Amino acid sequence: MRALINGIGWVTAAGLGRGRQRLGFSRPAGPLPKLSRRMLFAEPDQRFGRLDEYSRLGLAAITMTLRDAGMAEDGQKRPVGVIAATTHGCLTTDLAYLDTMIPHNGAMASPNLFAYTLPNCFLGEAAIRFGFTGPGFIIQEPDPAGYTCLSLAMAVLGDGDAQTMLAGVCDLSQTIPATVEPQPPAAAVFFALGLVPGPAGPPYGVLQFDSTGSLSFMGQRVTGIFDLVQACLHPAGHGSPVRRATVDLNLSTPESG
Amino acid sequence: MTDVWITDMAVVTGLGDSLATTWQGLMQGRSAIGPVTRFSTDRYTTHVAACVNGLEPESPDGSRLWPLLDQTLAGLGPVPSDALLLTATTKGPIDILENLRRGRPADTQALPMASWLARISRRLGLTTGGINISAACASSTIAVAQGAAAIGAGRAGAAVICCMDLVSEFVFSGFSALQALSPAACRPFDRDRAGLSLGEGAAALVLMPAERARREGQRHLGSVLGWGMANDAAHITAPARDGCGLIQACRQALARAGLEAPMVAAIGAHGTGTVYNDLMELTAFRAVFDGRIPPLHSIKGALGHSLGAAGGIEVAVGLKALAERTAPPTVGLCQPVDGAEGLIQAAPVTIAGDCLLRSNSGFGGINAVLILGRGADW
Repeated sequence: MRALINGIGWVTAAGLGRGRQRLGFSRPAGPLPKLSRRMLFAEPDQRFGRLDEYSRLGLAAITMTLRDAGMAEDGQKRPVGVIAATTHGCLTTDLAYLDTMIPHNGAMASPNLFAYTLPNCFLGEAAIRFGFTGPGFIIQEPDPAGYTCLSLAMAVLGDGDAQTMLAGVCDLSQTIPATVEPQPPAAAVFFALGLVPGPAGPPYGVLQFDSTGSLSFMGQRVTGIFDLVQACLHPAGHGSPVRRATVDLNLSTPESG
Repeated sequence: MTDVWITDMAVVTGLGDSLATTWQGLMQGRSAIGPVTRFSTDRYTTHVAACVNGLEPESPDGSRLWPLLDQTLAGLGPVPSDALLLTATTKGPIDILENLRRGRPADTQALPMASWLARISRRLGLTTGGINISAACASSTIAVAQGAAAIGAGRAGAAVICCMDLVSEFVFSGFSALQALSPAACRPFDRDRAGLSLGEGAAALVLMPAERARREGQRHLGSVLGWGMANDAAHITAPARDGCGLIQACRQALARAGLEAPMVAAIGAHGTGTVYNDLMELTAFRAVFDGRIPPLHSIKGALGHSLGAAGGIEVAVGLKALAERTAPPTVGLCQPVDGAEGLIQAAPVTIAGDCLLRSNSGFGGINAVLILGRGADW
């Protein structure tokens, strides 16, 4: 399976970013930025104010990814899907909801919070805002490399069920100690994958899974989803600035792996 | 594409601890929806749900989820060790989180779904780690689709799908707060429907390429012929009134199955009993079937809405219905909603064909559809 990476966007403790900004990617320790509507959208947006913290994180990273791919225009429905991996999902929202449910034996349970106690709700928010009509779901998996979402997204593309698939990870800081070791980083990163170059111009390169399930980017083995960001931004692995792929991007040729 | 068979399956529902007992209850028109006793419902808009009889947590700090799963997996024969494990749930062991927040003993190590994947994998003797899929009420339908897709593309030699969800105060209170619960047992597609009833249950399905299944002497309980998924891009907690996402998912599934709409002999609808869901489904099916909708049924009046488990349970019931050439009654139906007269019955209905369309729709605007083919080895 092969696909082109047409966009990258993220939210980490260092802030919001996207690949073509050429500002580099880092994942320092510390809290994530407090995400506000103004950081993402120029126009007032009542929906954004209602979102839980987890949905804001996911929607922000998706928005940055679409901007990077030149696909952030609103309104038009289009065959775009999203597959996101998470470890704890909307656990923070679940706890906040329980804090409205428990004190008065359920009488004060918050319907607005409850609506966001499913980890896939931010995919719905992205679908509404950006017109995504393709498949969308959340996965949890034991593999810390976290790139199963990429292979599933590439399979959707290969089957022709979407023209663009966004795939990535989304996790807030853990609020319950020691449920998983090591803790996943608080961050969200998404990749825009397609079989043809996107409107932003030449893609970052070719992502490929071989028959053993190994992931490679431009022929170099990738060991995790955050490594893939670095590989896209610094293809030579020497801290070089973003360099557009110069290899053959014709995905109709037979796979070598 | 590779023909994908379902070779084994097991279910546990409010009507029984097997597909046979569940089917028997369905055909008798029984409903498992009754008073909830595991938590107080005094402050909620209803007091009923379909709980599994005698389901208790495995330990004071544990969840009801494992006893439910263990009971379900006990109904399966041996599973190929190389099978891809796909689980599906909306809230998993949410009762543990409730305990934690109430200051009760709580096994927090069991909160992440990854720990459940490992436990199920060990229980079934699998060599793979697995993936949990979370897509609201479409979770298990998408898990079945992903399993079939992986087998169809040669990425997996077999797959086992485990679908599960509990009746918990967390979920009960939430749907109550959303004013989505029916005061009494739900009545899908009825004129007087007034919301959904929650249920709990689990299903386990084993998928295999037909060629391997034949070689290994496995039973052909049915086939996954096609699948589709699409988002409404309209609302988070309500369906698109024009059914746009469901229409797209149905058409995708039919195209993948290589079938024309008239070849579908029956529909297993999501049929939650909420005003908008049932109308949306009828709107979508009218469009897909060009006004000639085949007989459709919902089993949620009997089993309640088991959320992430619903699709898996409904696949098992759907395959049994195809095998028996009889769709189960839509329990709770008295007077069909306008436009559905003759399509939906409170009695068993003959299925005149070999293909059944199944659908689920969920929060986040997601819709998922499967086309199931009749099995030969019941």
